[in-house]
Amino acid sequence: MTVHIIEDDYGVADALATLLGGVGHDAICYPDAESFFEAPPPLSQDVVIVDLGLPGLSGVQVVRWLEKLKTPPRIIVISGQSNTQIRNVISKLRPVVFLRKPLSEDLLVPHL
Amino acid sequence: MQAVRGTMADEPARGEEKTTEEPVWTVSGARLESVLDTAVDGIVVINDRMQVLAYNKACEHLFGYSVSEVLGRNVSMIMPAHYAAAHDGYVQHYLDTGEKRIIGIGREVAARHKDGTEFPVELSVGEAVTPDGRQFIGILRDLRPRKQIERSLAQAQAQLVHMTRISAIDEMGAAIAHELNQPLTAVLLYLQAVVRKSRDKSLLDAQMLGVIEKAMREAERAGEIIQRMRQLVEKREPERSDTDVAPFARSCVELVELGSADSGVSFQVRIDPDMPLVSMDPVQIRQVLVNLLRNAREAVSAAPVRQVSLHVTMDEGYAEFRVADSGPGVPKEVVPELFRAFSSQKRKGLGLGLAISRTIAQNHGGDLVLRQAAGKGATFVLRLPVECGIDSALAPDQ
Repeated sequence: MTVHIIEDDYGVADALATLLGGVGHDAICYPDAESFFEAPPPLSQDVVIVDLGLPGLSGVQVVRWLEKLKTPPRIIVISGQSNTQIRNVISKLRPVVFLRKPLSEDLLVPHL
Repeated sequence: MQAVRGTMADEPARGEEKTTEEPVWTVSGARLESVLDTAVDGIVVINDRMQVLAYNKACEHLFGYSVSEVLGRNVSMIMPAHYAAAHDGYVQHYLDTGEKRIIGIGREVAARHKDGTEFPVELSVGEAVTPDGRQFIGILRDLRPRKQIERSLAQAQAQLVHMTRISAIDEMGAAIAHELNQPLTAVLLYLQAVVRKSRDKSLLDAQMLGVIEKAMREAERAGEIIQRMRQLVEKREPERSDTDVAPFARSCVELVELGSADSGVSFQVRIDPDMPLVSMDPVQIRQVLVNLLRNAREAVSAAPVRQVSLHVTMDEGYAEFRVADSGPGVPKEVVPELFRAFSSQKRKGLGLGLAISRTIAQNHGGDLVLRQAAGKGATFVLRLPVECGIDSALAPDQ
């Protein structure tokens, strides 16, 4: 299984990849939704970790696209935005795993 | 005609030679009477002995005395005691020295009603030299309604300043929390990665590992502080009340006009008929509208046409407040970041206004967006649902 990390903050993306690598998962980082869409689509056994506040195409658009795949991967939405903003966005989506920053290993690993 | 007729009656000592002037007096007197009684302001005419010669209908309302109670008496009866005592002296001072302290100048003074109530009036005084000696004409405008308006405007403004400050702190707190979250998340994950790896392979000695674990706990503590800060600044829910948007929208424009008397900007308000009551927090929404209107005013300050308009209309269950200006529009490169905190291009201010405004709109279940066509000014649209309830239905983490 591969973990796809779509996160514009380099520190967060790299730290996530380092941690997941340590747990034994392959991780690929994408700085934005556009570069994620250019890569081959994720497989059903993969996990996609996507930040809500991306530049350009939003995290919501990524989730919508993933949900339309024939065999969608598991999706984990992460965000550091305020409750209100998150509420506004999440209400437009089907239920997904949602984690609020700051993240930690204990918070994340059970969902992989 | 009571007042002016009273003038005549009070002067019985006049000699026969006056009769030739009598017809002239009557004609102009009749005209004078209708003028006096039509006037909205109180008008009092006194002679140089301070006796009231004329006293119009508006004065009867203002002071509670009828004409017959006042004519011929000293005008000090409609003044508060301390003025009354000094008034004769003021007039005498003028008669002796010719030094004008109120004639032709006018000022705010206190007046006294028959029931003893004192109230502020704007008094202007003119002087006329007549065959019967000098007369003084006082025009009195009741200042209570204006004071009332000034007070409520000042209150609204103070409240606005206060709320603006509070939400600036809120927005700043939320922005700082968000910005700090990113590096903090990275620090935590890096440290956890190190700890996990070195535990597995015993790469580090126990002491080093202990230090890293301590560092991790500190990072977690910082995370908790941010959490708490976030809870503090995010819990402010709108205090809704059903609001009649027409007078509300006008009062917002008035507030902004108040500070732009000589800016040359013209403000227009258009409100669709049959607007329903909107469930909203009037203090917060006023803050948003005033902010948008002020931005618009600034945007047109250097434009050839300086117009700002507020159009209130309905759109599919949402009340829309559209603030449009005749300025150059928002530059393309600024648009994506426009609603982000600290992104302002302006020299003054923190650049929180639009960020706060959007947060407030979203807290109401609405939104704030920019609509602009090429070559036209900017239009900011504040959308608020007429019925609330969206908010409480979608609160997954509360």
